[in-house]
Amino acid sequence: MDVNLLYIDPGSGSYLVQMIIAAVLGGMFYIKTIWKRIKLFFSKNKEAPENEHVDE
Amino acid sequence: MNNIAHHPASFKDPSGFVFQKNNIFYRQINQTYKDDYDLLMSSGLYDELINKKYLLSHQEINENFTGSAERYKTILPEQLSFISYPYEWCFGQLKDAALLTLSIQKTAIAHGMILKDAAHFNVQFHNGKPVFIDTLSFEKYDSSQPWVAYRQFCECFLFPLYLQRYLRINVQKLMLTYPEGIPASITKELLPWKSNFNLGVGLHVSLQSTIKTGNNSGDYKGEFDQKKMLNLVNNLEESIKGCTIKKHTTTWSTYYDETIISQSYLSEKETIFLKLISLIEFKKVLDIGANDGFFSKVISEKATSVVSVDFDSHCINNLYAYTKKQKASNILPLCIDFSNPTPAIGFNNTERSSFLDRAQFDVLLGLALVHHLAISKNIPLQNIAESFQKIAKTVIVEFISKEDEKVQQLLQHRKDIFSNYNEVEFIKAFSKYFNMISTTNIPGTHRIMYLLSRKEN
Repeated sequence: MDVNLLYIDPGSGSYLVQMIIAAVLGGMFYIKTIWKRIKLFFSKNKEAPENEHVDE
Repeated sequence: MNNIAHHPASFKDPSGFVFQKNNIFYRQINQTYKDDYDLLMSSGLYDELINKKYLLSHQEINENFTGSAERYKTILPEQLSFISYPYEWCFGQLKDAALLTLSIQKTAIAHGMILKDAAHFNVQFHNGKPVFIDTLSFEKYDSSQPWVAYRQFCECFLFPLYLQRYLRINVQKLMLTYPEGIPASITKELLPWKSNFNLGVGLHVSLQSTIKTGNNSGDYKGEFDQKKMLNLVNNLEESIKGCTIKKHTTTWSTYYDETIISQSYLSEKETIFLKLISLIEFKKVLDIGANDGFFSKVISEKATSVVSVDFDSHCINNLYAYTKKQKASNILPLCIDFSNPTPAIGFNNTERSSFLDRAQFDVLLGLALVHHLAISKNIPLQNIAESFQKIAKTVIVEFISKEDEKVQQLLQHRKDIFSNYNEVEFIKAFSKYFNMISTTNIPGTHRIMYLLSRKEN
């Protein structure tokens, strides 16, 4: 076992982990939003979308 | 002066403690927790949690039983009929307790508070549902800070669920070894390689086991916000909801469906059982070796509460699913092996009490059980009787003689060293502790049902 672990506030490491997770999840949300817009753009070109109020 | 002691598990948090007076549990709230307690009550959070049945309700008491100068308030929480521990819960129970904790976290955030403690010990099963019992786990939410209890939540809930999902093992024994939660490093070592394809495993297990606590100073003030927090909590929720186990069968989980000698046996036994329970008065029942809970369900119609235990966690998981679906809220299924019941653990070996310390019931059911203890586990009949009499004053027990096909199966691959396993010795052993009230043969079988009443000295 890493001796340092015994002297470090157990919360501290998890803070960095949460930062990274939040960044990853935020990024995924951003990609999902863009992906939705692309899908909407193409579906608009093909035919009228089933639900006009999906975005905005 | 007063002689009221803290509950042996209630010493970690300076915000307050639990104590017992005249067999009633109270919680003292200390001055240090005043602001947070007042916020809990005034923000509307308490009311919403009570309306949703997420939190155990309480009322404030004027008396200062402890005589302590640190006291701010004393509360009398709704009393629980039986305390169970996370390492006695089946997969479904741990999952529901995890989802409850996250729902509470989200509700708290909406009211400007947050859970500072997300241990599984803060949840108990009450009226068929998980309920949060620690009124002192809430604190004022500072949105610039990440969740202080994040790692604790993962280690107590998410990791055991992942291990059970991927390894298909009973994780209860591992949880007993790590009562404060299974560390990320251990979880990472145990999970199979394929689990890396799961986003939740990657984010919560791999990342935490890699980064550990390192040498980070932990000063990230101002970099976190509420949106990030909700993303995190929602992701944990999705990860847990996606955690499922296949409903697979074991020798025991279909015992009554397939392997029992005949259906008529079961209905004969039920008739006798109904007659026996009509002869007695009771509130609290313990069903040992409950299996699919057939007799727990029957007796639950008349009992206030039934604790149904079995060493087979799949049986218990199925029974828990049944109690949820049928709203059989007075049945509490638990994964407990009666030949090796839950030990007392924690500081001083008193923090979490043993199963037998908690097991005080009016009636004990031991149906199709004694032959397993006596023959599979080599426990002498007298020791079984002695153990039973410590638990309940009334016992309904079934004796299955050696001629029975099930007992023959147990003896098939081993030397029969059980010359004392017969009805005469059974009666002799149990008569030492019990009076025989009723003896009924189950027609067409080598099985006998006994109604016993404890001899009081």
